[in-house]
Amino acid sequence: MKFLIAVGSKTYSEPTLRVGMQVAKAFNASVTILYVGPKISAFSSSEVRLAQESMERWEIDRPGVEVLEWAFNFLASHDYITPKMIEAGFQKNTLVQTRGNRCELYLQGVACEDVNLILRNGDIIPELRDEVAKGGYDVTIIGGSKKRRMAHDLVQYIDSSIFVVKNFEQEIDYRLLMATDDSEGTKKAVKFGAKVSQAFDMSIDLLTVSKKNFFGKGYRNASKKASTLVRRAGIEGEVLLKVGDPVEVIVDFAGNDHIIVMGASSANPVKKFLFGSKPLKVMSSCNCPILIVK
Amino acid sequence: MFRLLNQYTSNVIYGFTRSRWLIITSLIGIVLFLLPAPEGLSIDGYRTIIIIIMALILIVTEPIPLPGIALLIIILQVYFGIADANHVAHSFMNDAVFFIMGSLMLAVAIVQQGWDARIALGIIKFTGNSALKISFGFAVISALMSSFIGEHTVAAMMLPIGMTLIRYTSEDKTKVRKLAALLLFSIAYGSLIGSIGTPSGGGRNAIMMIYWKEFGFDPISYGKWMMMVYPLLLLQLPILTWILWKSFRPEYTYLDSGIRKLKVRVARSGMIQPKQYVAVFLFFLIFLGWIFLSETIGLGIIALSGVVLYLVTGLAKWDDMSKHVNWGVVILFGASISLGTMVNETGAASWIADQVFGSINNFASSTPLLTDTVVVIMTTALANILSSSATVAVLAPITLNLPGDTIHIGLVTAISSAFGYFTAVAAPACTIVYASGMIKAKDFLKAGWKTGIVSIVMVLLYANIFWQLF
Repeated sequence: MKFLIAVGSKTYSEPTLRVGMQVAKAFNASVTILYVGPKISAFSSSEVRLAQESMERWEIDRPGVEVLEWAFNFLASHDYITPKMIEAGFQKNTLVQTRGNRCELYLQGVACEDVNLILRNGDIIPELRDEVAKGGYDVTIIGGSKKRRMAHDLVQYIDSSIFVVKNFEQEIDYRLLMATDDSEGTKKAVKFGAKVSQAFDMSIDLLTVSKKNFFGKGYRNASKKASTLVRRAGIEGEVLLKVGDPVEVIVDFAGNDHIIVMGASSANPVKKFLFGSKPLKVMSSCNCPILIVK
Repeated sequence: MFRLLNQYTSNVIYGFTRSRWLIITSLIGIVLFLLPAPEGLSIDGYRTIIIIIMALILIVTEPIPLPGIALLIIILQVYFGIADANHVAHSFMNDAVFFIMGSLMLAVAIVQQGWDARIALGIIKFTGNSALKISFGFAVISALMSSFIGEHTVAAMMLPIGMTLIRYTSEDKTKVRKLAALLLFSIAYGSLIGSIGTPSGGGRNAIMMIYWKEFGFDPISYGKWMMMVYPLLLLQLPILTWILWKSFRPEYTYLDSGIRKLKVRVARSGMIQPKQYVAVFLFFLIFLGWIFLSETIGLGIIALSGVVLYLVTGLAKWDDMSKHVNWGVVILFGASISLGTMVNETGAASWIADQVFGSINNFASSTPLLTDTVVVIMTTALANILSSSATVAVLAPITLNLPGDTIHIGLVTAISSAFGYFTAVAAPACTIVYASGMIKAKDFLKAGWKTGIVSIVMVLLYANIFWQLF
């Protein structure tokens, strides 16, 4: 599996990186850590590069490298990379410029297959989308953002599962909240969620919400299947059936001590673009980490 | 199958949202094209204005890369039947474009000479270790240099010095945020203020020189431009330093340890090499050429001569130039100059001038201060949204058509196009310091509005008092 962890800054992205690496370790995935720096006006991009080159003569790093260095130090202090790599330290000179606005550094991993550090400049969504499309990532891990638009664009345009590490606190004993319904995405989400809960020894709440006062066959079957799968995996799980507006119920139930797992909506993209989707609405209003499985 | 279709639709939606401004612009273009031309405006003039409107929206929203917008400007002129292909090609390339190309190439040649270490030492020698004096020193040196070789070169050369000093003062970025803003803005704004000083100070000045000549107005000489504008530049510098000091009073008022480390660092870089002397001498030749020959052979040709000299002597490599010159920008300036020429030729310029100033025309011709005010505010606003050179290329044909002295109004336009203090995109110097990651976009507003207002007031007073002596 391939994981992409997008970090924003040293100050705010620590939880994202920590959780991201833990999950990646559980899946023994290869990981890429991506930092997207501010967009440089196309009017002066060449002059900026010229200035950056002359700064290199003064041994001043281009902006963003310090974020990669911070990520390297994090990886080193948690033994995610080989001792040889740690001993060698952060090798700036192995940062390869692969394109005008993209640099890459390759590290050999221990717990995970391997780790790449990537630095790009530009708008976050197009850069992420480009990176995901090129690298064929399975999961994109990113910190929470207050911008509503951001959640929308992530769900709509990033073609991988998305794990938003929102309001994550190390002290909280998280439970997994698996939202199940009769949609196609649920099956995949349940499998993925089961793996996560196995890896972190978390118990699961299987929640099915119906708008009407009764539960149709599809819903009941979905809930049953999910609970069977969870039980077989040897995970402690609780099955819950609730009535109400799905988005509200899920967000309320999740509070801040659950990690929500949902399948991506399989509705028509045009419809999603115009009216949004359940996962999108949950993502923008919840107060806890959320994983949307595609 | 179903998933593939969804994926495809999703891609289309993404493409649509990314290029929605291109679609909107095209729709606006089509609608305007189908409407009849306003009274008093020729059909060609009207269509030229449509292209300007479209180009403005596209440059601000950037749904396609900048060079793409430039090419669109060129082809639309032919598709709209404003001029034939050869005519557009002629208007696309002239001495101002030569100058922009040459000055971008010279920037590469000069920045790579490694003069920065010497400049750093020179500044420190005069300023000592007080942060206030260093900031003033940075502003003065940046301004003096950029008045001859353009702000993009100077900012690229000065940034490493500023950054080194900041880093040597403290490795912890959060402890030197204000110091960083003070020094880097001294460089950026100093370069901007300096770039008004001579015709070779920036592409926009070169464009103005060409327009005076091409539109049949009397151009002024390199020396006269300097005489008329340089005092303003010198007046602005102390005020700039004062504003920056008030806005970003630094964490350290004396940079003892930073300066000491910087001196050691420069000393380690060794003696001045003979080839550095040659490089300085060549630059001196170019400078003399601009002063004495630019009227006869043109600013651009001299810049290109300089490039040839650097290439011949092996002081610069073509590979580096070709890699670091922003060819897209060269094309964009060519296209905007071509558009500016059409605005003038089709009569659109005088029509717009009449519309904007029609009501105040009689009044304005008796009070140049009013015309100046409108011109300065309009130019400053556009320069901050677009880029300063493109602003002059498109706006100057209009302002030159206003009543009053064309040299006066031309200089005012060129000078105020340098007031790109408010945003990180307006001028290369601002983008370069912004890209260092040490200052935030909102810092530009914080320091920019004060510097901007002071500059606007100063240029108005200066133009209407001092220039009366000429």
